[in-house]
Amino acid sequence: MSDLLKFVENEVQLAALAFLAVVYAVRLIWIFRFRSRKERTFAAGSEAGGVGYSLMNVAMPWAMESTRKRPGFYAQFVVFHLGVVAAITATFIIPYAPEIFRIRAVAIAFQALLAAAFLVGLLRLVRRLANPVLRLISSADDYLSLTLMIMFFGAGVLAVPNDYRRAEWPLLLFFGLTAFFLIYVPFSKICHYLYYPFTRFYLGRSMGHRGAFPRGRKAGTQAPGPVQENRG
Amino acid sequence: MKEGRLRTYEPGDNVQRFLDLLGRRITRSLAVSMTACVHCGLCAESCHYFLARPDDPTMAPVWKADQIRKIFKKYIDWTGRVAPWWVKAGSLRDDEDLNRLKNIVFGSCSACRRCTYNCPMGVDTGLLVRFTRGLLTELGIVPEGVFNVSRDQWETGNQMAVTEQDYLETLEWMRDEVRTELGTASVDIPVDKPDCEVLYTINPREIKFDPRSIAHAAKVFHAAGESWTLPKWGWDQTNFGLFSGDDKLGAYVARNVYEAAERLRAKRIVISECGHGYRSTRWEGYNWADYDQKLPTESVVVTLKRYLGEGRIAVDPSRNPDAVTFHDSCNIARSGDLVEEPRWVLRRVCTDFREMFPNRRENFCCTGGGGLLSMAEYRPLRLEVAKIKAEQLRATGAKLVCTMCHNCVDGLNDVIKHYKLPMRVVQVLELVSNALVVPGRNETKKTAR
Ligand code: SF4
Ligand code: SF4
Ligand code: SF4
Repeated sequence: MSDLLKFVENEVQLAALAFLAVVYAVRLIWIFRFRSRKERTFAAGSEAGGVGYSLMNVAMPWAMESTRKRPGFYAQFVVFHLGVVAAITATFIIPYAPEIFRIRAVAIAFQALLAAAFLVGLLRLVRRLANPVLRLISSADDYLSLTLMIMFFGAGVLAVPNDYRRAEWPLLLFFGLTAFFLIYVPFSKICHYLYYPFTRFYLGRSMGHRGAFPRGRKAGTQAPGPVQENRG
Repeated sequence: MKEGRLRTYEPGDNVQRFLDLLGRRITRSLAVSMTACVHCGLCAESCHYFLARPDDPTMAPVWKADQIRKIFKKYIDWTGRVAPWWVKAGSLRDDEDLNRLKNIVFGSCSACRRCTYNCPMGVDTGLLVRFTRGLLTELGIVPEGVFNVSRDQWETGNQMAVTEQDYLETLEWMRDEVRTELGTASVDIPVDKPDCEVLYTINPREIKFDPRSIAHAAKVFHAAGESWTLPKWGWDQTNFGLFSGDDKLGAYVARNVYEAAERLRAKRIVISECGHGYRSTRWEGYNWADYDQKLPTESVVVTLKRYLGEGRIAVDPSRNPDAVTFHDSCNIARSGDLVEEPRWVLRRVCTDFREMFPNRRENFCCTGGGGLLSMAEYRPLRLEVAKIKAEQLRATGAKLVCTMCHNCVDGLNDVIKHYKLPMRVVQVLELVSNALVVPGRNETKKTAR
């Protein structure tokens, strides 16, 4: 293994990760600087239940009409995000636990998942270019983020065998992209996973308080008489 | 009139004032809704505007929200400040831009929050729209109808400028009607009676256009032996602050109701059938007014359910033989807690209750929501996109569509008239009142429980 590859797999990754962590911390401070409103009404449901339901929404395709009616879209979403997890995991396995990918079945499973995510990424790009709503709203960041992900998955397929003796360039490409990602992500839409817990928390808390979440449960009403819960 | 609360439009540096307000008013939950959108477009098909105009991408909720989002990105979010072109952040140039924004947030969205429920990220587009409306209202950049109704509510304490004399005379008139109908002088519609169990608050539309709904309530309260009163001041539970996004108006109107209950030492606030009134008085109003809730505050439909459940009133469902379907008001079902309660009541007072699809929290807006009924300039678009609601209604085959919202009554009536549907709009109280078996009137007592 060349010194360059070693450097890219280790020092460069760690530096990029540290950068990501710092920017995320700043981003979190930025979010917390916005004021939050106090709830002064009696609850008709459970805030904790609402938050839990809201956060788990991602794993409940039946919960929203938009995913219920489009199982194909939801399946793509699952494959794409599992691909993300696989690619990120690979960036740790290759330098720190290479023996795992020497198990052929594991390597093939990772490659299959990354290849599927690569195809889904291409489908998403076609959709973004073909659908008039998406075309109208998409920014340069939307296109670049998606293109980068597609490249990342593609590079992952090539890098997972970790066969640096035959050729180092797939690994250099994969880790080079990873480092670029780590630096670019906090400024792009890819960092939506940082916001997801917040949007889902606030929506879940508010709807849980009102008894509107979890969906499907009988809507609550205030018990007549004494105060139930007053967070004022 | 609370002086100086309602701004009229003044030429000047409105863009800067808008940006100042944006920075000052934005809360954390709104800020994350601004940043979290991934532009997946999944919300498009949840909106009746987009479904009715599928070839017009500007009808998609995400595009509407992006019109405020891009301003947030440009002036508040760091990525947009550093590289605006990269994330499609956009500048506000002049009042023309603000006017365009007004036409989007007031004219092409009823703030029904159907898209909110369908966003995988939990982005609350309905709330972003309301927030933007509030900023524009503060600058006087609002549709004329919204301005007029808001002014009336600020000046007279009710959104239809009903005078105290009109109010009291209508209540007396309805009291006499119920007395005649029930053949007893013991029925009353009390005003400002202290120490009652129930403080009943109504929609000014009931005084102006539908006083029978007050008579229905009086009849039911009488049959249930309820101790109740209406307040002389603070009786309007509707709240145009919800539609205009003006939290100050929202706080003022809601506080009137809460203070009336306190002044009269009532034990419970009951809200007549009104979607946005319920949402405002039960949920948002306490927060707008920074007023800790002290009393149970409920919809009259919950009260009816309790009376039926406790056997305090008896009903004969055969008196409502026509097929009835139920329209869930967005403000109650999606922004509130009541979906099963009205169904529970309807199943007991009608013989043929049938659902429309989709229903409950997935129901489509009547299309008159978000104050759109008061905005004549957007009426053609509203009626065009109402075809989604019309198809939904027609498919039920019902003769009556019941809703627990006075605003929905008007919205649905417009849809029914425009699309020539063979049905009529009713409310829960009317059906309960029809079915009510009043003791002492030689009626067979049938209790449906
Ligand atoms: S709130 Fe309702 S009307 Fe407005 S964009 Fe969302 S779905 Fe459409
Ligand atoms: S569904 Fe949510 S994340 Fe997707 S475009 Fe609509 S608002 Fe944005
Ligand atoms: S008028 Fe009724 S259906 Fe229409 S938005 Fe209001 S609550 Fe929703």
